[in-house]
Amino acid sequence: MQKKMKIHIKYTLLTLLLMTAGTAISFLLFSYQSFNTGNIALIYILMLILIVWFTEGYFYWIFAATIAVICINYLFTYPFRELNFTLSGYPVSFLFMFTILSISSAAVKSIKRQGQILKEREVALAAAEKEKMRANLLRAISHDLRTPLTSIIGASYSYLENEDSLDADSRRDLVSHINEDSNWLLHMVENLLSVTRIGSEGTSITTSSEPVEEVLSEAVSRVRKRLPDLKINVRVPENFLMVPMDAILIEQVIINLVENAAIHGGGSRPIECHIEDSDNCVIFRVRDYGNGIPEAKLETIFDGTSYSSDQSDGHRGMGIGLSICKTIITAHKGTIEAINHTDGAEFYFTLPKEEEHST
Amino acid sequence: MKLTALIIEDEKNICDFISTTLSAQDYKTVTAYSGTEGLSLFTSIQPDIVLLDLGLPDLDGIQLIKKVREWSSTPIIVISARTQEKDKVLALDTGADDYIVKPFGSRELFARMRTALRHSNRLNTTSALYNRPYHAGDLTIDFERHLVTLRGKEIHLTQVEFKIVALLARNSGKVMTYDAIMSEIWGPYTDTNNRILRVNMANIRRKMEENPGEPVYIMTEIGIGYRMLEDDTSC
Repeated sequence: MQKKMKIHIKYTLLTLLLMTAGTAISFLLFSYQSFNTGNIALIYILMLILIVWFTEGYFYWIFAATIAVICINYLFTYPFRELNFTLSGYPVSFLFMFTILSISSAAVKSIKRQGQILKEREVALAAAEKEKMRANLLRAISHDLRTPLTSIIGASYSYLENEDSLDADSRRDLVSHINEDSNWLLHMVENLLSVTRIGSEGTSITTSSEPVEEVLSEAVSRVRKRLPDLKINVRVPENFLMVPMDAILIEQVIINLVENAAIHGGGSRPIECHIEDSDNCVIFRVRDYGNGIPEAKLETIFDGTSYSSDQSDGHRGMGIGLSICKTIITAHKGTIEAINHTDGAEFYFTLPKEEEHST
Repeated sequence: MKLTALIIEDEKNICDFISTTLSAQDYKTVTAYSGTEGLSLFTSIQPDIVLLDLGLPDLDGIQLIKKVREWSSTPIIVISARTQEKDKVLALDTGADDYIVKPFGSRELFARMRTALRHSNRLNTTSALYNRPYHAGDLTIDFERHLVTLRGKEIHLTQVEFKIVALLARNSGKVMTYDAIMSEIWGPYTDTNNRILRVNMANIRRKMEENPGEPVYIMTEIGIGYRMLEDDTSC
């Protein structure tokens, strides 16, 4: 309600301003040289069209047009300072003025409406796209969650059912499967949780300056906890580097990339993991000496679309992990890429350095 | 003598799991499913250690720590989710001894509990024990002689670096928040930016660790602080 009031006040003021301006201009021109009344009418029409353009509704321009007609009659036509509508031709010119104004008002209105429709259509399209992405992600997540859950439920069920008939080894097997799968589930959930730290717009994260070496080493030590046999070489730059980031999220990205390399890379040589200092950004690299990434997948590897096609090969959840990495890095205004070397794959991402003026 | 652990946690399944594992390790356990229940049990049974879940339905975990700390120095270990760094830091700065992140293994839990108990005992013993040198792996720190040696070779640290290392070593195994370290080394009114601490730590690691990228002695807890490898001689 308040907002509406404000708009009305704004339009009224605008109308009055434009009319005053029109009158002032006309008056100036009229007093300097004997200016044609027709030209004065044109000035008013210009002002009126501006009013039509900048305000909404019929009220303002009808109001303004009435004022214009009165002003022209009173100020600029003989007899001056007197209202006289009986002069020949007058009613016709006023009629024309009103017709021009109503046509242009209708035109302006339709232009405005078309613009609005276009805008609305764009918003609807973006929303549909988002909805589609969300649905895809949800489908992929449910699939990825269901697989380990099925295994956990199955294993625990058979343990409870056949506790006495199972020998110690197979009991141990069942429980260790449950343990493995629940760890996997945890990993998934942590990934998903990290996405909730990014605002719905995909850009709003709260960053603080963190030493890159600490984030890297913490991430690697977390992977080590889950994969004790991990072979990895970690190198940090000699100089001390701090970069603004959400450390928990960047840690998640490194964990995903290192785990990815360890589980899917399939190389026998240790994974290389290092940080490079560049002019205006810091580059994190995770390189493995394994089979590389299939060329066909290289293009879409961060899209999160690859998971639907490779459900059969058991590389579960890889797509989601990488698309989450992409989301996180994009939110940090960095870039993430995957490339193939002749002897393995490399993932790297960049984070922009802090600007000079920030603390 | 059996040690008594009070578990304050509203999830019954988790309570049961902790209680079972602790009982197997010869602890006596008492469980409370709410903050108020936990507080009244704390006063009546006087446990040796408290495990406290931060997300309680009725009472804020921080409030509970404050109330307990008014009159007791019983070690409190906070159980929290991974994403709540701010809560963890607040809990630690309020007086909690350490924290453990859900989900955790029993080995990790015991390690934390042992450390917390050891530090609380240390407060009651003579300072001779407190000043005994720190040993872990190849690292030795002689507090009295201001000497840090790695595999018998002396490491030259600056005054501030030594202060930081000594502080962490005296609290080895326990997490120290950035704020706690800052106020201990630079005084309580230093500014809130902990960059100076992070820079010093980077230098310490370059002197002390074989590979600063994979530190062995001083670990980072992102968003919280630092934790030094537990003293060998104490376990």
